[in-house]
This record gives sequence, C-alpha cells and structure tokens, in this order.
Amino acid sequence: MNISIEKTDEEFLVVISGRVDTTNYNEFENSIVHLYNEKDATIYLDCSGLDYISSSGLRIFLTLQKKVKIQGGVLKIFAMQPQIKEIFDISGFSSIFAIFPDYSAAKEA
Amino acid sequence: MNRNRLSFKIIVRVLLFCFILGGSIFTIYYLFARKTIERESRENAIHLAESTVYKIEEIINPAEMIPGNLAWIIENNTLSRDSIYAFLRQLVRNNKSVFAAAIAFEPYLFSQERYAFAPYAYRSGDEILNRDLWSPAYNYFIMDWYQIPALLRKPYWSEPYFDEGGGGVLMTTYSVPFYTNTNNSRVFTGIITIDISLEWLTEIVNSVKIFETGYAFLISGNGVYVTHPNASHIMNQTIFTYAREVNEPVIREIGRDMIGGESKLSNVNLKEMGNVWIYHTKIPSSKWSLGVVYPHREMYAGLRSLNIMIFLLSVMALTLLTIVTIRIINRQIRPLSRFAKAARNIAGGNFDIELPVVEENHEMKELHDSFRYMQEELANYIADLKETTSAKEKIESELRIARGIQIDMIPHIFPPFPNLPEIGLYASLESATEVGGDLYDFFPIGDDHFCFAIGDVSGKGVPASLFMAVTITLIRSMSDKNRSCSEIVQSVNKTLTINNESNMFVTLFVGILNLQTGELQYCNAGHNPPVLLNCDREPLMFRNTKAIPVGIFGEIDYCNETMILDPSDQIFLYTDGITEAEDADKNLFGEAALMKALTENRDKSPKELTDRVKQSVKEFVNGHMQSDDITMMCITYRGKNGNKIK
Repeated sequence: MNISIEKTDEEFLVVISGRVDTTNYNEFENSIVHLYNEKDATIYLDCSGLDYISSSGLRIFLTLQKKVKIQGGVLKIFAMQPQIKEIFDISGFSSIFAIFPDYSAAKEA
Repeated sequence: MNRNRLSFKIIVRVLLFCFILGGSIFTIYYLFARKTIERESRENAIHLAESTVYKIEEIINPAEMIPGNLAWIIENNTLSRDSIYAFLRQLVRNNKSVFAAAIAFEPYLFSQERYAFAPYAYRSGDEILNRDLWSPAYNYFIMDWYQIPALLRKPYWSEPYFDEGGGGVLMTTYSVPFYTNTNNSRVFTGIITIDISLEWLTEIVNSVKIFETGYAFLISGNGVYVTHPNASHIMNQTIFTYAREVNEPVIREIGRDMIGGESKLSNVNLKEMGNVWIYHTKIPSSKWSLGVVYPHREMYAGLRSLNIMIFLLSVMALTLLTIVTIRIINRQIRPLSRFAKAARNIAGGNFDIELPVVEENHEMKELHDSFRYMQEELANYIADLKETTSAKEKIESELRIARGIQIDMIPHIFPPFPNLPEIGLYASLESATEVGGDLYDFFPIGDDHFCFAIGDVSGKGVPASLFMAVTITLIRSMSDKNRSCSEIVQSVNKTLTINNESNMFVTLFVGILNLQTGELQYCNAGHNPPVLLNCDREPLMFRNTKAIPVGIFGEIDYCNETMILDPSDQIFLYTDGITEAEDADKNLFGEAALMKALTENRDKSPKELTDRVKQSVKEFVNGHMQSDDITMMCITYRGKNGNKIK
C-alpha cells in the first residue's frame, strides 16, 4: 500500500494505491488522520491504483467521509477500478460517497 | 594435551619456528666458525713452520760461522801450527752444537814432509780428544765431505748420517773450503769441517705438536727423513720411498716441491689421516725442507664438541621453552574452557552461573565483560519473555473462551428443526482468527414463519466479534411477528449507530420465509446478494438493493423485497470471505467461480452444497492463508409440510 497526500489551497489530493486490508488499514488511517480536522476542505481521493479493499479499509473511508462532513468539507472519490466499484455497489457504499469516473469530473462537480 | 588443543597448536608452531630460527642461526654460525677455523689453521700451519725454521736457523747460523772464521784465521797465518790441536779442542768445547771439528789439508800443503794431515778434535763422553783423521785406511780425499766442497769450491752440508764413532748420534757435516796466500795468489789449501749433532734438530722439530696426530718433519736435500715422529723413518726412508710404500702419489709431488726449495700449502687427502693441510718451506742455509702436517679432523674437533654442547643446550632450551609456553598459554586460556562451561550452563537456563575471574585487563577481560553482559541481558530477556508469554497465554485462553461464547451464540446443531419439515438448512462459519466478525442466525417466528440472517462486521478480531455479538443479540431481540425484515434491520441499525465512534458497520441480510406460502420477504443492508438455486434452473443472484450496511447512519430507510419460493428452491447465503478468498498470487475466488460451483452442485443437499463450495474455495487458495472469515448458509424450502422432500 502507498499513500501520498498533496495540498493545494483548501484542496487535498490523496492518492492511494495497492491493497488496503486488515494488515495495513491502521497505517492507512494514521496517514490520513490529520485530514479529519481540516475545516471546509475538499479532499480528492484518487483510487486508480487501488487494487483491493477490505471491510476494514471501507471503515476508514467511511470515517473520513463522516469527519469531513462534520468539518464542512467534501470527499470526492474518483477513478475506481471495476472490482472496487463492485464492492462499493454491493455494500451500498456507492450511495454514501461521491464517486466520479476521473479527476476532472470530480473537479467540475 | 588433547584437552588443551589450542595450547598444543600454539606450542607446535612456536617450537617449529624456534627450531627453524635456531637451525638457521646455527648453520650460519657453523659455516662462519668453520671458515674462521680453516683460515686460522692455515695461518697457524704457515706460522708454525716458519717459526720452526727460524729456531733451526738460530742454531745453524752460528755453527755456520765457525768454519768461516777458522778459514780466515788460517788464511792469515794467525794460527800457529803447534797450537792447532789445542785450538780445535777449544773450539769444540766452546760450541755446544759442534760435535767435532777438523781441518783437512790438501796433499803436502800443510808441510812438504806430510802427504796428508787432518787434525780433528771431537767429543768423547765428557772429554774432548784429538787425532789425525788421515790413515791409509781412511783416505779422506775421496770422502764426500771433502771431495764435493773441494770440487765445488763452495760450502757443503752433507747428508745426515749416523756417526758410529761418535756414539751413534745423527750427524751432519758442514764443510767449507779454505785458502792460503802464496806468492800473491790464493791457493785452495783444504777443507774445514764441523760435525753438528742433529739431536737438537730432532728435538725442535719433534716439539711441534699439532692436536693429536699433527706433526712436523724435516727432509734433506735428497728427500731423506732427517726428523719424523716415526723414528724408524729417519735415515732409512726418503719421502719418495715412503710415498711409494703407502701408495700416496700426492706425497711424492710434495716431496718434489720440497726438494725444489718451494714454500707451499697443499690440501691433500691421505688414506691414513684423512684431509690434511701440508705446509712446507725450505731451510735457507741448507737444502733441507721442513713440512708441517695439519689434520682437518682434529682441526674441527673443537668445533665439533662445541656443536654438541650447543645442541644439548638447544634441546634444554627448547624443552624449557615448551614447558614455560604451555604453562603460560594454559594459564591464559584456562578461563576459556570455563567460559565454555558457563555458556553451556547459561544455555541450560542457569543464568546465575559464576563466571571465571579475569583480573588482567586484556581480551579475556573483554570476553568476560561481554559474557557478563550476555548473561544479564539473557536473564532479563527470559524474564521479559516469561512475562510476555504468560500474558499472551492469558490472552489466548481468554480468546479461546470468547470463541466458545461466540460459537455458542450462533446455532450449530444440524438439522436444526426436525419438527419443521418445510425447511432443510445447513450453515458453517470459519473464522480467520480466534474470534471473528461474521454472523448468521435463524429461528422460527410463530408457527408459519422462519427468520434467518447473515452478516459481516467490518474488520476482524476482538472488535469485530464484540460488534457481532451486539448485532446478533439485537436481531434476536428485534424479531417478532409484527416486524417486517426492513423494520428489523432498521431498528438494529438505529441501535448500532448510537455511540458508534469507531464507525464499525455490519453488512446484513435478513429474510423471513412464510412456510405455508413460500413467500420470502427480505432486506439486504449492503451484504453480498444471496443466490437462488433450483436443480431445474440456472442459479440466480438476488438483485442488488444498494442499501448501505447497518451502523453507519441512523436515519436510513431500508426497503423490503419479496419473492415466492417454489418447493425445492434453495437459497445460498455467504459472506465476502468466499468471493474474496485469495490464492498466493492475490487472485480472488470471485462471483463467477462461486456461481460455477453452485451450478455444478445445485442438486445437492444444503450440507453437501456448502461442503462442495468450501472444497472449491480450498482448492482455489491452494494452502494460502485464510485472511477473512468464511460463512455460508444454505436453506432449502421443501414446500408446505415438506411435500417435496429432497
């Protein structure tokens, strides 16, 4: 798993790649935990490199979504691979998150 | 020795080195000493010969003067004819080396009346007597001592001879011609002789002693032995006859050189004496020659005994060195074997073992300190480990108990309801860890309805298991005749969402089957869609409702769905542990593989079906570690009263 976070003004671009599962979801949470307290931030989450996510990983997505909302910000997820999109669909998470096909679509919305 | 291998090895190397070093030093010393001895011996041989010659000359030279002086006296007519005997007697008396003296006149030159006259004074015992040598029987004119110098008009040393008249002593005669002045012309008048005993010569030469067998010898101008340690050679052998006798051609060569008057040092090998130096030099006054024989063997005898001494000393020194080195090394490395023993003890768990005491501050001390450090660290580590292990064991035993409790929370007796002929059911739950987050449950509601549920808590382990326990309890307590599936899910959701700071969630599927009509009401909160199976049809996956899992947002409305089951229809429910089972290359089992397994086994009983699916998954992962809980539940609807029994 690899995570990089880029900050521009009030926007954050989080790029996550590889696998998020029970062995490393803590690491994932630790690296994005500071975003929980950002006020009015727009966070873009690039999932183009994300190969697998377990329910533990989904929980972090969920937590991030909730925290961002409380702080008045927005979480936009884009470029999900089909198998990840399927997991989101099955679990109904697609309806919780704002999901876009690519970065520009996420920007425009 | 075997016990102290290290010391043995060190001492062998040290000794070998000492041996080589000592050997080299000794060889160099030996060669040098030999060379020095050889050089000194050579010089010594020459010096010995020269000094002996000098001693001889010291005696011969004054003797040689005597006839010369006498001739002068006679030539100048200072000697009266009457006192000639008295003069000769006195001369012999005064010169100890002179045995006899004579003045032999040419015919008629002493007086007209006498044909021959040779006054002669000689020693006889203590007395000195005189007489005339001439007698008809002793015609001195034909004697060598007269004839040769008379002809040569030169002084002449006779060959040595035994003088029978003079008591058998070895003699030589020195003859000098003398002259008288007649009518202003120098006329040869006769020969003056002195006889010299050679005993003193023998003494001088024989006094030359070189080691044990070395000696000096003197030969005359003809090669006759004048002196020799072997007295039988004297006057009886020449150096040439001797050379022939002992068959030593080199001696003949040397004899030739000696007669030739040369001074020379030769290194020759004699059968009798081995290698010898022979130095010879001539006696200047006569034609005689002195030889010195210097034996090699004895020349080096001193060196040899010195060598033996050195060898013995070396053996002693090496022995001492060995003993001392062994003692030193043993003392130095003795702690090592104790350290080894201590290490074994420590390995055996005895951390309090006493370490060998090392006082000197060198490597052994370092080892000691390291050992001590290791001992302490090991003791601490083991203590920590014990503590950790007991803590871990405690946790593990608690986890085992928790697992027991968790398993008891889900029904696991099959077939579960023998008195419900409408239903055939089998379920299985395999946790990836001791306790897991998957759940299933089923129970009849009233007489006609049968409720079942399957769920998957996010994450694994203890947090998930706690959440699972709460969820399963809620489902049970919320389910009653008056609630629909969505109402059950909704109330579970509402309760779980309260104070759910950690955002745990559960995907949950709840279904209620009307046993009489086959009507199935269900609600799916984000769970993997179940599959409807019938042996007459292709398996059919339930429609995805896209409802979110429970526990996330409290105010969510979940919907009910309904469908009618035909008798012999089966519902297969599962968690994502099936579809997301991974092999070693991280490939997922997937829905397609699941559907394939289900299609192949759609005519099987619930237990057999779940076993087959489990087998398929097992074959797929091929021994790779299970990462998520795997739960399956299969329900067969047999129709009202179980008419169609499968």
